[in-house]
Amino acid sequence: MTLFLQTTLNGLMLGGIYALAAVGFSLIFGVIGIVNLTHGVFVIAGAYLALLFYTELGLDPLLSMLPVGALLFAVGWVYQRTIIDWAISRASVEASLVVTFGMAMILRNLLQLWFGPDVQTITPFYSFFSISLGPFRVDMVRLVALGSSMVLLLGLTLLLARTHFGRAMRAVAQQPLAAALSGLNVKRIHAMTFGVSAALAGASGAIIGIVQPFSAASEVAWTLNAFMVVVLGGVGSPAGALVGGLLLGLINSYTAQYFGPALTQAAMFLVLVLMLLLRPTGLLGNPYGESR
Amino acid sequence: MNRLVILLLTAVAAVLVAVLPMLVGPYYIRVLQIFFFSAGLGVAWNILGGYAGYWSFGHTVSIGIGAFTAAWLGMIFGAGSGPWSMVLPVIAGALLSGLFALVIAYPLLRLRGTYFAIAMLGVSQVVAELVNNVSIFQGGIGVFLPSPVPSGMPVERFYYYIFAVVLSLLLLISWWVKRSRFGYALLAIREDEDTAMMLGVPTERYKMAAFVLSAVMVGLLGAIYGYSLGYFTTYSVFRLDWSLNMIVFCLIGGIGTLMGPVIGAALILFLTQVLLGGFLDLHLMITGALVVAVILIMPGGILRTRWRLPGRKPARGGAE
Repeated sequence: MTLFLQTTLNGLMLGGIYALAAVGFSLIFGVIGIVNLTHGVFVIAGAYLALLFYTELGLDPLLSMLPVGALLFAVGWVYQRTIIDWAISRASVEASLVVTFGMAMILRNLLQLWFGPDVQTITPFYSFFSISLGPFRVDMVRLVALGSSMVLLLGLTLLLARTHFGRAMRAVAQQPLAAALSGLNVKRIHAMTFGVSAALAGASGAIIGIVQPFSAASEVAWTLNAFMVVVLGGVGSPAGALVGGLLLGLINSYTAQYFGPALTQAAMFLVLVLMLLLRPTGLLGNPYGESR
Repeated sequence: MNRLVILLLTAVAAVLVAVLPMLVGPYYIRVLQIFFFSAGLGVAWNILGGYAGYWSFGHTVSIGIGAFTAAWLGMIFGAGSGPWSMVLPVIAGALLSGLFALVIAYPLLRLRGTYFAIAMLGVSQVVAELVNNVSIFQGGIGVFLPSPVPSGMPVERFYYYIFAVVLSLLLLISWWVKRSRFGYALLAIREDEDTAMMLGVPTERYKMAAFVLSAVMVGLLGAIYGYSLGYFTTYSVFRLDWSLNMIVFCLIGGIGTLMGPVIGAALILFLTQVLLGGFLDLHLMITGALVVAVILIMPGGILRTRWRLPGRKPARGGAE
């Protein structure tokens, strides 16, 4: 029983990180309707930037989430304004899938050239602490990571629900044309959405850097994780990302514990395929309605 | 182009393919062999992804099933040697991968667009991990296939001719599909599935047929590829990058065209293997850049672009 609960606990903590890493992907999917296959690169780029800040300036990864997020916000903004916008206007929304895929290949290659192909980790001083809660053990880093994920997700929820910008984003997601007619600058909202998404991905990368080893090649896994989280939870909302992320974390840790760590990918994909077949809108449905 | 020109071109190509191994060194014969194999993959993917519009991101699952089936048969029944010994295992590999496609087709083909693409990716990952981790499949430790190359013949030349013949066969099938009632139905499904269904096209059955046909073709290539490797483990045949390369070849050459995948494969392989063979760490970037550039400059691929002389007024709409 203790083992089961400990596994559950580990799964939930992992899931919090999955949720944060996926929420930006979900936002772009929901607001612009694009499957951004570059998302994993943003996550890994965040991790590398946090590593740079840590080794060069001694900045704690949790603090470096701010500059990393700001940098990636700019990258996301420019990316949408140039490549993504060109792809949509010249070809189609489907073509943007391929373009983001091609960009992911280019960027992964660049990361490999800059940082080398080796697996990296960030190890701040609290890396090796763990707390005991009765019979359970909780790694300090994972707890910190989970806490920061929750804070950021809550922040995004408030942004979407309470601010003018959040309302504008939801309006564009529902009806781009009507939103434009009401005086919203749809292109600007799209660029902002991409920026926010990339910033969140970068911040999650900084956290992932202290929890898990990473390399440029792991961007594929993070893009796929994001996709799975969205399929499990539903498109476009922080709550959906949280539900999907926690579920994915649980699936991952139960499989690793009871069937062996080699089968986690298979189990995750099996659940993904079943989910697509049984409930394609995700557990929480699609809060942005029938637009897609 | 009229029929005579096409016939003439085909004849020239056939003669060229036949005599080329006498003229170039072993390395280039091997590159050409990989080219035939890759182009074949593209042609097979194109049946489902290009004609029917169902993009699969996990087609490598059929390569794996084809290759492993051939190897398992060899291990169970004891394989002979000589070129004829590979006929039965290769056919079995193609059929089993078709059978597998038939089983997963019914649930998966209800998904559309990105969801189908990613579900296929999921399927290929699940099958790869099962083959790798369930010990009776032996994917983790690897499997052997005896060499069917007749004595006295260089290995690369043997597979060169086999892949050349198989590619011509696949092109013939693709050509037939494209101009048949079946092919037109697939195009209708790609353009608007609901309307096609309403107009009486049996969409469900045709989609399944395209899926299975495509899987059989890839399985065939996969089984022969398994032979050409001789010894392989799970991840030498269940390769994610191939799943993606098939799409890239079609995209660059022109999705849904007969020769598009062949041209795309030729371009990519020329760039990565011949021109930049020494810069292995840049291949990913080159392929990616080519994909992005093609989508932005000529979204229909090379064959779909209306080429015109500079200075002339564009025909209406310009490039599609």
